[in-house]
Amino acid sequence: MSWETGDHGTPEVRPAADLPRRTVVRPYMLTRGRTTSSLGVFELHAPVLALVVPGQLGRATPEDRMIVELCQTPMSVAELAARLHTPVGVVRVLVGDLVDARMVQVRQAGDRAEHRDVRLLERLLEGIRAL
Amino acid sequence: MHSEFAPPAPDTVPAPPAPGPTGLPVSMKIVVAGGYAVGKTTFVGTISEIEPLTTEADITVESLGVDFAGGVSTKTGTTVAMDFGRITLGPDMVLYLFGTPGQDRFLFLWDELVRGAVGGIVLVDTRRIEDCFPAVDYFEHLGIPFVVAVNLFNGVYRHHPREVREALAVPANVPVVLCDARNRLHVKETLVLLVEGALRRAQMAGAAV
Repeated sequence: MSWETGDHGTPEVRPAADLPRRTVVRPYMLTRGRTTSSLGVFELHAPVLALVVPGQLGRATPEDRMIVELCQTPMSVAELAARLHTPVGVVRVLVGDLVDARMVQVRQAGDRAEHRDVRLLERLLEGIRAL
Repeated sequence: MHSEFAPPAPDTVPAPPAPGPTGLPVSMKIVVAGGYAVGKTTFVGTISEIEPLTTEADITVESLGVDFAGGVSTKTGTTVAMDFGRITLGPDMVLYLFGTPGQDRFLFLWDELVRGAVGGIVLVDTRRIEDCFPAVDYFEHLGIPFVVAVNLFNGVYRHHPREVREALAVPANVPVVLCDARNRLHVKETLVLLVEGALRRAQMAGAAV
Protein backbone atom coordinates (compact mmCIF):
# COMPACT_ATOMS: atom_id res chain seq x y z
CA MET A 1 0.00 0.00 0.00
CA SER A 2 2.89 2.31 0.49
CA TRP A 3 4.45 1.93 -2.93
CA GLU A 4 3.76 4.51 -5.51
CA THR A 5 2.43 2.67 -8.51
CA GLY A 6 -0.77 4.58 -9.14
CA ASP A 7 -1.81 7.38 -11.43
CA HIS A 8 1.50 9.20 -11.23
CA GLY A 9 3.30 6.27 -12.84
CA THR A 10 6.15 4.32 -11.40
CA PRO A 11 9.33 6.15 -10.49
CA GLU A 12 11.15 4.23 -13.22
CA VAL A 13 9.29 5.96 -16.04
CA ARG A 14 9.88 9.44 -14.74
CA PRO A 15 12.60 11.54 -16.29
CA ALA A 16 15.71 11.50 -14.16
CA ALA A 17 15.55 15.25 -13.56
CA ASP A 18 12.13 14.80 -12.01
CA LEU A 19 13.36 12.24 -9.53
CA PRO A 20 14.71 13.74 -6.36
CA ARG A 21 16.21 11.48 -3.74
CA ARG A 22 12.79 11.01 -2.28
CA THR A 23 11.46 7.68 -1.19
CA VAL A 24 8.90 5.96 -3.37
CA VAL A 25 6.50 6.25 -0.46
CA ARG A 26 3.85 8.92 -0.99
CA PRO A 27 4.88 11.90 1.14
CA TYR A 28 1.96 11.80 3.54
CA MET A 29 2.42 8.09 4.17
CA LEU A 30 5.29 9.24 6.37
CA THR A 31 2.79 11.00 8.60
CA ARG A 32 0.24 8.18 8.44
CA GLY A 33 -2.05 10.48 6.51
CA ARG A 34 -1.98 13.33 8.98
CA THR A 35 -1.63 16.76 7.45
CA THR A 36 -1.37 18.84 10.59
CA SER A 37 0.66 18.67 13.74
CA SER A 38 -0.94 18.91 17.17
CA LEU A 39 1.30 21.92 17.75
CA GLY A 40 -0.03 24.08 14.93
CA VAL A 41 1.82 25.18 11.82
CA PHE A 42 5.51 25.81 12.30
CA GLU A 43 6.88 28.81 10.44
CA LEU A 44 9.13 28.07 7.49
CA HIS A 45 12.06 29.83 9.13
CA ALA A 46 11.49 28.41 12.62
CA PRO A 47 14.72 26.83 13.85
CA VAL A 48 14.67 23.26 15.14
CA LEU A 49 17.24 21.90 17.58
CA ALA A 50 17.67 18.28 18.64
CA LEU A 51 17.46 17.53 22.35
CA VAL A 52 19.02 14.11 21.88
CA VAL A 53 21.82 12.61 19.84
CA PRO A 54 20.96 10.04 17.13
CA GLY A 55 22.26 7.25 19.36
CA GLN A 56 19.48 7.94 21.86
CA LEU A 57 16.71 7.43 19.33
CA GLY A 58 16.20 3.68 19.67
CA ARG A 59 13.90 2.47 16.90
CA ALA A 60 13.06 5.45 14.77
CA THR A 61 12.06 5.97 11.16
CA PRO A 62 14.84 7.02 8.77
CA GLU A 63 13.18 10.44 8.43
CA ASP A 64 13.07 11.03 12.18
CA ARG A 65 16.66 9.92 12.47
CA MET A 66 17.72 12.32 9.72
CA ILE A 67 15.87 15.20 11.36
CA VAL A 68 17.62 14.54 14.67
CA GLU A 69 20.97 14.24 12.91
CA LEU A 70 20.50 17.44 10.91
CA CYS A 71 19.28 19.35 13.96
CA GLN A 72 22.31 18.72 16.14
CA THR A 73 22.92 22.34 15.21
CA PRO A 74 19.80 24.47 14.68
CA MET A 75 18.18 24.10 11.27
CA SER A 76 15.01 25.73 9.98
CA VAL A 77 11.86 23.83 9.02
CA ALA A 78 12.27 24.94 5.38
CA GLU A 79 15.86 23.76 5.27
CA LEU A 80 14.91 20.40 6.74
CA ALA A 81 12.26 20.01 4.04
CA ALA A 82 14.77 20.88 1.33
CA ARG A 83 17.44 18.54 2.66
CA LEU A 84 14.99 15.68 3.17
CA HIS A 85 13.46 16.28 -0.29
CA THR A 86 10.08 16.20 1.41
CA PRO A 87 7.21 18.73 1.22
CA VAL A 88 7.31 21.18 4.07
CA GLY A 89 3.84 20.08 5.25
CA VAL A 90 5.13 16.57 5.90
CA VAL A 91 8.19 17.85 7.72
CA ARG A 92 5.99 19.97 10.00
CA VAL A 93 4.04 16.92 11.10
CA LEU A 94 7.22 14.88 11.66
CA VAL A 95 8.84 17.71 13.63
CA GLY A 96 5.66 18.12 15.68
CA ASP A 97 5.83 14.44 16.62
CA LEU A 98 9.47 14.84 17.60
CA VAL A 99 8.60 17.83 19.78
CA ASP A 100 5.87 15.78 21.46
CA ALA A 101 8.45 13.06 22.05
CA ARG A 102 10.90 15.64 23.48
CA MET A 103 13.45 14.78 20.85
CA VAL A 104 13.63 18.29 19.37
CA GLN A 105 12.53 21.81 20.21
CA VAL A 106 11.30 24.54 17.87
CA ARG A 107 11.42 28.30 18.27
CA GLN A 108 8.40 30.06 16.80
CA ALA A 109 9.37 33.66 16.11
CA GLY A 110 5.90 34.90 15.15
CA ASP A 111 4.44 33.86 18.48
CA ARG A 112 6.77 36.31 20.16
CA ALA A 113 6.42 39.02 17.48
CA GLU A 114 10.19 38.95 17.15
CA HIS A 115 9.97 40.50 13.70
CA ARG A 116 8.62 43.70 15.30
CA ASP A 117 10.92 43.72 18.34
CA VAL A 118 13.00 46.93 18.36
CA ARG A 119 15.97 45.33 20.08
CA LEU A 120 16.06 42.40 17.67
CA LEU A 121 15.62 44.63 14.62
CA GLU A 122 18.56 46.74 15.81
CA ARG A 123 20.59 43.59 16.14
CA LEU A 124 19.49 42.46 12.66
CA LEU A 125 20.43 45.81 11.15
CA GLU A 126 23.81 45.72 12.83
CA GLY A 127 24.35 42.18 11.54
CA ILE A 128 23.45 43.00 7.93
CA ARG A 129 25.60 46.15 7.96
CA ALA A 130 28.56 44.10 9.14
CA LEU A 131 28.27 41.65 6.22
CA MET B 1 3.70 10.85 19.86
CA HIS B 2 5.44 8.66 17.38
CA SER B 3 4.67 5.03 17.99
CA GLU B 4 7.97 4.02 16.37
CA PHE B 5 9.92 5.54 19.19
CA ALA B 6 11.31 3.30 21.84
CA PRO B 7 12.81 5.88 24.18
CA PRO B 8 15.81 4.63 26.10
CA ALA B 9 15.32 3.75 29.75
CA PRO B 10 15.48 6.89 31.93
CA ASP B 11 18.65 5.92 33.77
CA THR B 12 20.57 5.58 30.48
CA VAL B 13 19.64 9.00 29.15
CA PRO B 14 22.55 11.41 29.37
CA ALA B 15 21.85 15.08 29.83
CA PRO B 16 20.83 16.77 26.57
CA PRO B 17 23.66 18.67 24.86
CA ALA B 18 23.01 21.92 26.71
CA PRO B 19 20.14 23.31 24.67
CA GLY B 20 17.40 24.98 26.70
CA PRO B 21 15.28 27.70 25.14
CA THR B 22 18.37 29.83 24.64
CA GLY B 23 20.05 27.14 22.55
CA LEU B 24 17.99 28.25 19.56
CA PRO B 25 18.98 31.34 17.61
CA VAL B 26 16.50 34.07 16.81
CA SER B 27 15.40 33.45 13.24
CA MET B 28 14.40 36.42 11.10
CA LYS B 29 12.79 36.31 7.69
CA ILE B 30 12.66 38.67 4.73
CA VAL B 31 10.50 37.91 1.69
CA VAL B 32 11.76 38.65 -1.81
CA ALA B 33 8.86 39.21 -4.19
CA GLY B 34 8.29 40.26 -7.77
CA GLY B 35 7.21 38.89 -11.10
CA TYR B 36 8.32 35.70 -12.77
CA ALA B 37 12.04 35.60 -13.64
CA VAL B 38 12.70 39.05 -12.24
CA GLY B 39 15.80 37.86 -10.40
CA LYS B 40 14.50 36.83 -6.98
CA THR B 41 16.66 33.72 -6.70
CA THR B 42 19.64 35.70 -7.98
CA PHE B 43 19.05 38.31 -5.29
CA VAL B 44 18.84 35.62 -2.61
CA GLY B 45 21.86 33.73 -3.94
CA THR B 46 24.03 36.84 -4.08
CA ILE B 47 24.07 37.26 -0.32
CA SER B 48 23.14 33.80 0.98
CA GLU B 49 25.88 31.77 2.65
CA ILE B 50 24.38 28.61 1.13
CA GLU B 51 23.38 27.89 -2.44
CA PRO B 52 19.68 28.76 -2.53
CA LEU B 53 17.64 25.73 -1.54
CA THR B 54 14.22 24.81 -2.79
CA THR B 55 11.40 23.75 -0.56
CA GLU B 56 8.04 22.51 -1.73
CA ALA B 57 4.79 23.75 -0.31
CA ASP B 58 1.90 21.41 -0.83
CA ILE B 59 -0.97 23.57 -2.03
CA THR B 60 -3.81 21.15 -1.47
CA VAL B 61 -2.97 20.33 2.07
CA GLU B 62 -1.22 23.37 3.38
CA SER B 63 -2.66 26.47 1.89
CA LEU B 64 -6.21 25.68 1.01
CA GLY B 65 -6.78 23.77 4.21
CA VAL B 66 -8.82 21.24 2.26
CA ASP B 67 -8.74 17.64 3.25
CA PHE B 68 -10.36 15.64 0.52
CA ALA B 69 -10.47 12.27 2.16
CA GLY B 70 -11.52 12.82 5.72
CA GLY B 71 -8.14 12.91 7.40
CA VAL B 72 -6.30 10.82 4.88
CA SER B 73 -4.79 12.68 1.98
CA THR B 74 -4.88 10.40 -1.02
CA LYS B 75 -3.85 13.14 -3.41
CA THR B 76 -0.75 15.11 -2.66
CA GLY B 77 -1.92 17.95 -4.88
CA THR B 78 0.26 20.41 -6.69
CA THR B 79 3.46 21.51 -5.11
CA VAL B 80 4.95 24.96 -5.49
CA ALA B 81 8.67 25.42 -5.19
CA MET B 82 10.07 28.29 -3.16
CA ASP B 83 13.73 29.19 -3.16
CA PHE B 84 15.40 30.46 -0.04
CA GLY B 85 18.79 31.32 1.36
CA ARG B 86 20.36 31.75 4.77
CA ILE B 87 22.70 34.30 6.37
CA THR B 88 24.11 33.60 9.82
CA LEU B 89 24.52 36.92 11.61
CA GLY B 90 26.07 35.49 14.74
CA PRO B 91 25.59 32.59 17.13
CA ASP B 92 22.30 34.08 18.26
CA MET B 93 20.71 35.24 15.01
CA VAL B 94 20.07 33.87 11.55
CA LEU B 95 18.32 35.58 8.63
CA TYR B 96 16.36 33.70 5.98
CA LEU B 97 15.49 35.18 2.60
CA PHE B 98 12.50 33.57 0.90
CA GLY B 99 11.64 34.11 -2.74
CA THR B 100 7.93 34.12 -3.50
CA PRO B 101 6.58 31.80 -6.17
CA GLY B 102 6.60 33.89 -9.34
CA GLN B 103 3.11 33.54 -10.73
CA ASP B 104 0.16 35.53 -9.48
CA ARG B 105 -1.94 32.41 -9.15
CA PHE B 106 0.19 31.43 -6.17
CA LEU B 107 -0.45 34.70 -4.38
CA PHE B 108 -2.44 32.90 -1.70
CA LEU B 109 0.78 31.16 -0.62
CA TRP B 110 2.14 34.50 0.46
CA ASP B 111 0.14 34.59 3.67
CA GLU B 112 2.23 31.71 4.83
CA LEU B 113 5.46 33.22 3.56
CA VAL B 114 4.86 36.62 5.05
CA ARG B 115 3.77 35.43 8.50
CA GLY B 116 6.49 36.53 10.91
CA ALA B 117 8.48 38.36 8.21
CA VAL B 118 10.38 41.56 8.96
CA GLY B 119 9.33 42.88 5.56
CA GLY B 120 9.59 42.45 1.83
CA ILE B 121 11.76 43.39 -1.12
CA VAL B 122 9.80 43.93 -4.34
CA LEU B 123 12.06 43.38 -7.33
CA VAL B 124 11.07 45.22 -10.46
CA ASP B 125 12.04 44.62 -14.08
CA THR B 126 11.28 47.92 -15.81
CA ARG B 127 10.57 46.05 -19.05
CA ARG B 128 7.63 44.40 -17.28
CA ILE B 129 6.88 46.83 -14.53
CA GLU B 130 3.27 45.67 -14.15
CA ASP B 131 4.50 42.24 -12.99
CA CYS B 132 5.31 43.71 -9.58
CA PHE B 133 1.90 45.28 -9.00
CA PRO B 134 0.49 42.27 -7.10
CA ALA B 135 3.47 42.31 -4.73
CA VAL B 136 3.22 46.06 -4.10
CA ASP B 137 -0.54 45.78 -3.52
CA TYR B 138 -0.06 42.85 -1.19
CA PHE B 139 2.54 44.49 1.07
CA GLU B 140 0.68 47.80 1.08
CA HIS B 141 -2.61 46.19 1.93
CA LEU B 142 -1.15 44.24 4.85
CA GLY B 143 0.93 47.18 6.04
CA ILE B 144 4.18 45.22 5.81
CA PRO B 145 7.39 47.27 5.46
CA PHE B 146 8.84 46.95 1.96
CA VAL B 147 11.41 48.36 -0.42
CA VAL B 148 11.05 48.53 -4.19
CA ALA B 149 14.28 47.49 -5.87
CA VAL B 150 14.63 48.08 -9.61
CA ASN B 151 16.79 45.27 -10.89
CA LEU B 152 19.62 46.42 -13.14
CA PHE B 153 20.01 43.50 -15.48
CA ASN B 154 22.90 44.78 -17.52
CA GLY B 155 24.21 47.30 -15.10
CA VAL B 156 22.21 49.98 -16.89
CA TYR B 157 18.83 51.36 -16.07
CA ARG B 158 16.11 52.50 -18.42
CA HIS B 159 14.02 54.36 -15.90
CA HIS B 160 14.95 56.68 -13.10
CA PRO B 161 13.73 55.45 -9.70
CA ARG B 162 11.51 58.55 -9.61
CA GLU B 163 9.71 57.32 -12.73
CA VAL B 164 9.27 53.90 -11.21
CA ARG B 165 7.92 55.47 -8.03
CA GLU B 166 5.39 57.42 -10.07
CA ALA B 167 4.40 54.37 -12.07
CA LEU B 168 3.86 52.34 -8.91
CA ALA B 169 2.32 55.20 -6.91
CA VAL B 170 3.98 53.94 -3.73
CA PRO B 171 3.90 56.15 -0.62
CA ALA B 172 6.83 58.43 0.10
CA ASN B 173 7.97 56.27 3.02
CA VAL B 174 8.60 53.30 0.71
CA PRO B 175 12.16 53.47 -0.65
CA VAL B 176 12.62 52.92 -4.39
CA VAL B 177 16.22 51.99 -5.24
CA LEU B 178 18.28 50.70 -8.11
CA CYS B 179 19.77 47.31 -7.36
CA ASP B 180 21.80 44.89 -9.43
CA ALA B 181 20.67 41.59 -7.93
CA ARG B 182 24.11 40.11 -8.75
CA ASN B 183 25.90 42.81 -6.76
CA ARG B 184 26.41 41.86 -3.13
CA LEU B 185 26.78 45.46 -1.97
CA HIS B 186 23.56 46.48 -3.72
CA VAL B 187 21.69 43.56 -2.18
CA LYS B 188 23.10 44.33 1.24
CA GLU B 189 22.19 48.03 1.03
CA THR B 190 18.66 47.12 -0.08
CA LEU B 191 18.27 44.86 2.95
CA VAL B 192 19.64 47.61 5.20
CA LEU B 193 17.03 50.05 3.86
CA LEU B 194 14.26 47.57 4.51
CA VAL B 195 15.33 46.80 8.07
CA GLU B 196 15.82 50.51 8.83
CA GLY B 197 12.23 51.08 7.77
CA ALA B 198 10.96 48.14 9.81
CA LEU B 199 12.93 49.37 12.81
CA ARG B 200 11.51 52.90 12.52
CA ARG B 201 8.04 51.48 12.35
CA ALA B 202 8.62 49.26 15.39
CA GLN B 203 10.03 52.22 17.32
CA MET B 204 7.01 54.34 16.44
CA ALA B 205 4.65 51.56 17.43
CA GLY B 206 6.52 51.22 20.72
CA ALA B 207 6.39 54.96 21.38
CA ALA B 208 2.67 55.04 20.67
CA VAL B 209 1.92 52.47 23.36
